[in-house]
Amino acid sequence: MNGWLAAACALLVLGLLPALAAACTGPVLRRVLAQNLTTVLTALVLLLLAQGYARPAYGDLALVLAVLGPAGTLVFERLLAEELAASPARTPFQRLMGLAGTAAVPPVVLALAVVTDPGRATVKLLLTGCLLLAGSAVCTRALTAAWGR
Amino acid sequence: MDELPVALALLLVACAGTAAVATRDPVRQSLVLGVLGLALALLFTVLQAPDVALSQLAVGTALTPLMVLLSVRKVRRKARSERREEHE
Repeated sequence: MNGWLAAACALLVLGLLPALAAACTGPVLRRVLAQNLTTVLTALVLLLLAQGYARPAYGDLALVLAVLGPAGTLVFERLLAEELAASPARTPFQRLMGLAGTAAVPPVVLALAVVTDPGRATVKLLLTGCLLLAGSAVCTRALTAAWGR
Repeated sequence: MDELPVALALLLVACAGTAAVATRDPVRQSLVLGVLGLALALLFTVLQAPDVALSQLAVGTALTPLMVLLSVRKVRRKARSERREEHE
């Protein structure tokens, strides 16, 4: 077991389990935000696992998730619009979750980009990171807008 | 020590599955279902089956919740129109 796998395990325990707990309780807005956070964290864990197992092909999973994850969250945003508009005001915890979804991406992606050999793999990694950041930001903004309506 | 990722992924799947069963409202359940799909994809990756994980991601992240939510919406709309007819 190397450091990358250990980092993936740590992210799984410290990130995904709390996000799951947040997705199971509380108002709808918090649940959807937690679902968005789960998507981002899962993609990061997949990237770390790809490096840990030394199989760059596993990075494709993270790329697919970076594209499909925001689509899924936007589906919830669209079909739950009424309930989201009726849910109570945003709490600091929910703001923290929205922030964590974007703040967790750069450290992991940059650390991985440093150790991968320059070339197509680096480009793919950075593309995944950019997609994750953009998707998370768009989803958080759409959810906030849905609440304000 | 090498089995730690597998054990943790299994734990996550167990927690997500239990949570999905324990949630009663279908709308909220579909959200937990999405998380369960992600957890399963992680488990498959850790068990060295990325092809299975890929199809799980494709189906579990967007398609299953979309179908659940669309059916809930249709059922609710039908119930509402029936109630309106009763009033008339």
